[in-house]
Amino acid sequence: MSDSSTATVPSVVPVGRTRRRRRIRPHQVAIFIFLVMAALLFCVPLYVVVVTSFKSMDEVRHGEIFTLPRLWTLASWKYAWFNACSGMRCDGVRVGFVNSLFILLPSLVLSISLSILTAYAMALWKVKWANGLLFTLFVCAVVPFQIIMYPLIKITAFLGIYGTTFGIAVVHAILALPILTLIFRNFFRSIPVELMAAAMIDSGSFWKIFFEIVLPMSGNILIVILILQITSVWNDFIVGLTFGGHDAQPMTVILNNLALTNTGESNYSVDMAAALLTAAPPLIIYFVLGKFFVQGITAGALKG
Amino acid sequence: MTGMKQYFRLFNDELWIRSLQNMLILGVGSLASIVLGFILAALIDREVRGEGIFRTVFLYPLAVSLIVIGIVWRWLFNPSVGVESFFHSIGWNWVHFNWLASPQTVMYGIILASVWQSTGFFMALMLAGLKGINPEIWRAAKLDGVSFWRLYFEIIIPMMKLTFVTCVILLSIGVVKAYDIVVAMTNGGPGGSSFVPAYFAINAYWLKENLGYASAAAAMMLLFTVVLFLPFLLSAVVRRRNAG
Repeated sequence: MSDSSTATVPSVVPVGRTRRRRRIRPHQVAIFIFLVMAALLFCVPLYVVVVTSFKSMDEVRHGEIFTLPRLWTLASWKYAWFNACSGMRCDGVRVGFVNSLFILLPSLVLSISLSILTAYAMALWKVKWANGLLFTLFVCAVVPFQIIMYPLIKITAFLGIYGTTFGIAVVHAILALPILTLIFRNFFRSIPVELMAAAMIDSGSFWKIFFEIVLPMSGNILIVILILQITSVWNDFIVGLTFGGHDAQPMTVILNNLALTNTGESNYSVDMAAALLTAAPPLIIYFVLGKFFVQGITAGALKG
Repeated sequence: MTGMKQYFRLFNDELWIRSLQNMLILGVGSLASIVLGFILAALIDREVRGEGIFRTVFLYPLAVSLIVIGIVWRWLFNPSVGVESFFHSIGWNWVHFNWLASPQTVMYGIILASVWQSTGFFMALMLAGLKGINPEIWRAAKLDGVSFWRLYFEIIIPMMKLTFVTCVILLSIGVVKAYDIVVAMTNGGPGGSSFVPAYFAINAYWLKENLGYASAAAAMMLLFTVVLFLPFLLSAVVRRRNAG
């Protein structure tokens, strides 16, 4: 550390944060410049995508990907939303947007309500074999999707929900249950035992304690889980591809088809607009609720 | 030995061997995101101003679907309108960025996109680890005149051993599962040169409609995952035994 100033200062004076902030040292400037450059590098793809989506195809063909559009146009956005072709269908990504919404909402209700109740029972009530169940959940959380893909196809086909948005929602809920239950359980374990004991003596029933004590305490963790689930369901590709059939494909599947469909004369500005439309919902959530987002993805990192 | 038939077939399949090799290449290459994540976290942790902004910027790729990321990067790699054509248009003809077109470089392209996507995640884990380090250590190191490199290599990094192990395990599991990014960037091509196990299994199931074969590949994926998780399980067992 090139630090000549502390040598002249008597050693009783602590080298505190306030002192450090007033003097800007060369190495701090270097760190700052390095970080700014790294941040710019991270933003390049986003910048290129945004800029390209506002260009006309003629302009894209010039290959000047870093320059701003000479003529800003919304044509690609409109085309991507209403007319772009995915396979044989040419209705744009709005079909996928609607499908993704119809997948997202039921899957959120199912996965969160079931996992929070299971976790509540496991963490705060005496359940037989709770440890065994916990281990099973942990194993289920990490099993690769490919292992259970075929049985799930058979089950959903048997139930008649294969190829529907509801079927995809159910599969998402099943896949998310283990990890969500584990996250909720870890949170509920932090509730003091005395509080639960007092509530039980107060003749609180299973449901009364849940709705009057546990649920009001769970605000933060619910937001974290909600964001985790919204992002992972919205960004999912493989479940939507496997269970979507022809009519229930989510936005990511439509986007991928769309990018593959126009291979001959690729209309890149439309591809980029469609990509941005698909990425928008989770990105907006991320920029608004970043703190909860980070907690969610670190907690959900184990998911298989 | 009829039950093992699919596995014998699997390990005689060049494409499966290729998938395994690619998984290893992807795993080793993606380690860069842990290293980068640590460097960024260490710098952000020391830099007082703008921590929130830097964190937001480095993490945003994580909020985006891997399909979107794959499509965007495929476009950046496009030789006629992407990054390469930009450099050629300013006269830098020695720049070659058409990585996805050749079997020799296609995995590097996928690695670049994955590293770009996941660096922020490891940075977030590393930042959490760094925040857990007693601030007295920095002060003490400064008073003792410990050099920058020694401080990090001999004190900070050994203290964060657990964080690094967690990062490596999570990264490896992500590599075993890698599917979306390959579909969006190359669809396994050119000529099957960017196949990975997850892609192989799904491909065997849908294109060849061969359930047994696909299951054998999926079972191998499960085996890799279990092996990668063993350290986690063992450490949990050891902790419980020590506690009890």
